[in-house]
Amino acid sequence: MSINKTNTHIVPVDFEYHAPGSLDEAVALLDKYGDDAAILAGGTDLIPHMKQRKAEPKHIVNIKRIPELACIDETTEGITIGALAKLRAVELSPLIREKAPLLSEAAGSIGSVQIRNLGTVGGNICNASPSADMATALMALDAKVHAYGKDGARTYTISEFFQGGGDVRLEKGEFLTGFTVPHPPEGAGSAFEKVGWTTFDIATVNVAAVLTLKGGKIDHCNIALGACSPAPIRVALAEEILRGKEPTDEVLEEAMEFVAACVEPRERWRRAPPEYRRRSSQALAVDAVSRAVEQARRKQ
Amino acid sequence: MEIEITINGRKRQFDVEPNKLLLNLVRDELYLTGTKYGCGIGECGACTVHLDGQAVLACMVLAVDADGRSVTTIEGVADGEKLDPVQEAYIEEGAIQCGFCTPGFIMTTKALLKENPDPSEAEIREYLKGNYCRCTGYVNIINAVQSAAKKLRS
Amino acid sequence: MVQGNDFKVLGKKTIRKDGIAKVTGQEIFASDMTLPNMMYGRILKSPHAHARVKSMDVSRAEGMGAITLTPTEIPNVKYCPRLVSVPSSTYKDWKVLAEKGHYVGEPIGAVAAESEEEAQRALEAIEVEYEVLGASFDALDAMKPGAEAIHEQIYLDEDLLDVESNIGCQLDITEGDPASLEAADYVIERTYRTNRRYHNQLETKSVVVRPEPDGGVSIWSTTQTIHNTRLLIHEIYGIPMGKIRVYKVALGGSFGSSIHVNPVTNVAVGLALKARRPVKISYTREEDMRDHCSYQMIFKLKLGAYKDGTLAGGELEAYLDIGAHQIQAYPLLGCVVGWWVSLYKLPYKGYKGKAVYTNKVPSCAFRGYGNPQISWVVETMMDELAGKVGVDPLDFRLKNYIGEGDLFWGQGPSVKSIIQSCGVEEILTKGAEMVDWYNRPKPEEQTGRFRRGWGVGRGYHTSSAGAPVPSAIVDFGGAMLKMNEDGTFDYVSALMDHGCGTQEAHVKIVAEELEVPVEKVNIIKGDTGTTIYDVCTHASRGVYSGGGAALKVAGKVKEGIREFAARILDAYPHAVRIRYDEETGDTVVYAEGIEGREVTYREIAETARHKNWGTVAALESYRQPSCPPHFTGYFVEVEVDTWTGKVKLLRVVAGADIGTVINPMLAAGQVHGGFAQGWSMTVLEDTPYDPEDGDLVNRGSVANYKVPTTTDLLDLEDLTVFFADTYEPTGPFGAKGIGEGALNPVAGTVANAIQNALGVRFFQLPITPIRILEALREKEG
Repeated sequence: MSINKTNTHIVPVDFEYHAPGSLDEAVALLDKYGDDAAILAGGTDLIPHMKQRKAEPKHIVNIKRIPELACIDETTEGITIGALAKLRAVELSPLIREKAPLLSEAAGSIGSVQIRNLGTVGGNICNASPSADMATALMALDAKVHAYGKDGARTYTISEFFQGGGDVRLEKGEFLTGFTVPHPPEGAGSAFEKVGWTTFDIATVNVAAVLTLKGGKIDHCNIALGACSPAPIRVALAEEILRGKEPTDEVLEEAMEFVAACVEPRERWRRAPPEYRRRSSQALAVDAVSRAVEQARRKQ
Repeated sequence: MEIEITINGRKRQFDVEPNKLLLNLVRDELYLTGTKYGCGIGECGACTVHLDGQAVLACMVLAVDADGRSVTTIEGVADGEKLDPVQEAYIEEGAIQCGFCTPGFIMTTKALLKENPDPSEAEIREYLKGNYCRCTGYVNIINAVQSAAKKLRS
Repeated sequence: MVQGNDFKVLGKKTIRKDGIAKVTGQEIFASDMTLPNMMYGRILKSPHAHARVKSMDVSRAEGMGAITLTPTEIPNVKYCPRLVSVPSSTYKDWKVLAEKGHYVGEPIGAVAAESEEEAQRALEAIEVEYEVLGASFDALDAMKPGAEAIHEQIYLDEDLLDVESNIGCQLDITEGDPASLEAADYVIERTYRTNRRYHNQLETKSVVVRPEPDGGVSIWSTTQTIHNTRLLIHEIYGIPMGKIRVYKVALGGSFGSSIHVNPVTNVAVGLALKARRPVKISYTREEDMRDHCSYQMIFKLKLGAYKDGTLAGGELEAYLDIGAHQIQAYPLLGCVVGWWVSLYKLPYKGYKGKAVYTNKVPSCAFRGYGNPQISWVVETMMDELAGKVGVDPLDFRLKNYIGEGDLFWGQGPSVKSIIQSCGVEEILTKGAEMVDWYNRPKPEEQTGRFRRGWGVGRGYHTSSAGAPVPSAIVDFGGAMLKMNEDGTFDYVSALMDHGCGTQEAHVKIVAEELEVPVEKVNIIKGDTGTTIYDVCTHASRGVYSGGGAALKVAGKVKEGIREFAARILDAYPHAVRIRYDEETGDTVVYAEGIEGREVTYREIAETARHKNWGTVAALESYRQPSCPPHFTGYFVEVEVDTWTGKVKLLRVVAGADIGTVINPMLAAGQVHGGFAQGWSMTVLEDTPYDPEDGDLVNRGSVANYKVPTTTDLLDLEDLTVFFADTYEPTGPFGAKGIGEGALNPVAGTVANAIQNALGVRFFQLPITPIRILEALREKEG
């Protein structure tokens, strides 16, 4: 039992520390040490895990000295966000606030300012908690994930990459380098909703919605639901109901039944019973869609 | 590992194990015990310091990761015997009870007012939510931040 | 009635003396202390809820160079870590290091090494064989036949007792005629379960112990009582009292968790004596959460009322789930009935209380000491009973509350007194007006997603645990005051300030009496060698009792000043007067009616030294005359999201009757903090257990013990605090306490507000979003 091994005063794990200065250097280290190595980005997950003896890496690879990994830029493909972009930087970025405000909202909902000054988007994704807020938001935006390894660069969709329950799709020696978020359609409105036990908590449920209005009716519609299954999911059936319809209370209520139906938490999750997640996921989805509709209306 | 960190304006050299936390470095090596251990996992904010001017949690930063960088702790806030307006405001507004959370709150407040010199109550609450206080119910703390903001603006 | 305007210093805003040290990070807490040559200690904790230690092999740890400590190396003494009751009421079932783990987290061994990292490695190198036993995690289950005995025998004073059915102690009290209750027109009977809260004080339990050359020890620790710490170490280790010095250091919050001497202190003394070097132990948050918690209670309450709206009487069965050891269970049984019968007039009261062992973290006092739990239950039932009688719940309370002139039990049947000041009427009527109470919404009229409700609740707490007559509780203190050679004053008392600013209040009392500005009175951090006995800072006794002692010594010093002044002025001591000169900033003593004959405090002090008259000083022990209740009342408005079960605070009006308000800003601070804790108690906090491994479900992690942050509470403009205009004749300058009264009624108030919003009542705490949704589903199908 870990009761005598957990020590949150210190890091009760001995490891060798590496701080590579380039992508290839980092890959070489990760390839060499395999499962004995852990990547240090913001440390806001890794360090507490080491203190609780959930992670005991023999080698730590600090990738923050690699220059190109923290940028936030715009290209024709969309918005590129480096894996090491701080959550606070994503939250405050004028570019993201203008072109993909959903990400800014999701990032701003995580932890506290102090945590967001350390934590990175890549870290949030690679920690792969089922309640990872950035994962839900990136899914609603059809984001692509970029990885780099021995065999060069690779690109995945967010759902291919993020398996949840602590797992992401990375080969040995490979690591996450960043994301590309395609520009949301013209005039899109978005919203991110999250409920925890207090306002400084991980999500018991989170929902991200991105949609457009055409002639007063919902046209483009992406709704992602997180913390209700091992990985966030797109609620395709609810999206189906909403497309082509006016967003009235009745339409929303009908669609949200399908949100509840997608709730499939693992048995061993103790935070909340499935029934609670079903009910509050409906509430959050209604709230997210309503706010996204408001935003879309204002843009018209 | 040999590292160099500028702490409260002075360059200091250390020889540390890679697993040494920045929190324990300042507390144990430098006897700067104003920065506190409250939980060790990022929930309470009692260990808030400024790293390159940004408010972060020293219990989650490895000392080796701060190599070549600059750290400000609560002990670096006052100018000799002259208190910072934020410190004055905390005293004047009765924002201190047991005082254990106070250094963390002051460091976060300073970061807030640097970014946003005229924050609304909602903005103050949002910025301070990573700092936990069990004694005050936060009321006098909010009053202190508002008072400090006024002082700094004048 | 003397109130704020007539005082020079009391009631005015003054600045905390420890403010500068706290805002600059220079205030030293026990967890900040370091000493030369110090070692770091770590405690080996039982990983099982109930297991005998068959063997413990520390050889590998010792091979690493660590000092180790096992149960056989400590004197074989069973004790109670809380020394507030007289011996004949003190149950003892603790040992410094247990030979059997009675709960997950119990100290069974310890190490000390050169660094925390080394100590951690040494700790992990200890090999232990356990014989796992059956465990109980619920008080009612623990009493059933077949449940494994957690303690076979315990001590009451010096007598060895057999423990039956895991019942640690019990208390039955009946007063009045049961016929009163039988004649009731309306009766409600309910079972209630409270939560098991964790204090979550910011500073985890910590201690530094230095062994002294004379065989004694010096101790700096997280404590609410330096003298009881010394007393217990003396009891366990046999070190003469004079060789044990316990020093005051700032305390990072406590809320009752250090009324008793914490295990870290007892273990660190053992390590330091063996190592012959200073030893520091500071708990991690996870260890701290397995170190102490509040008393979880199961109540069966029956209350009756007559048609005319007066109460007919009641019966209360209380089961205290005290965890694996007794800290102050027996006195708590008395307090529980005392709290219950002192809220409202009950012609008949029947009480049966049992304190039951379970294999869980030991419970200790948590701000209110059972009063928050009882107030929640009673305030919830009063609302329900008012509904049956057909009267407004506020009016029902006004008709039945115990107030001025009434007999008040306070901390139990042996602590009775008559109430001499009471602001309940003022608090409730003024509050009702402020919130337009009688026009609040009705639950049946609300059907939407968001529903609003108002709740009312009232309560009180004693100011100290003393009374006019002696009881089973030790409650007295003392103070020392001396005039320095420059005419300023040093005030020394053993009373601990755990953040509430009680010593600041004492200084103001001294300053008021001596007519000096507060800057001229210094608070000196004493220790057990330089202070006389003060029992403990608890029971909201800091101002009422501690302030009383301060007033007493200030009075004596004033006499001494007059005496010396009279010599200088060539007048009679009883004829000289004292006044404060605003212009010069000096306090002068003058002979009435005679011009030019005056002398400053400074001149008196200097003259006394030059002429070898001596030091003006006073040392007095003080037993306060009573333990008057301070009263509070809350009105709370909430909004419930019936889709997520989340409850939002909209408005709070809080009224407090604390007699003369000495420090308005600090007193309001107590109300703000008490409200936040009460809110948290109602909707957030609990430490459930996993019966499979006997550990906390949250594994001691605060990430899974959420408490309110700045964004969880209401805006400044929505929280109103006011003080009633009262004066307590037995209190220093008319003052009473406030610390616990600020918390006690909150849970009941919030629960009533939720009921008003939803039409659903809860009989279990906390009222979580999960439980709210379940209840709504049941109600609305």
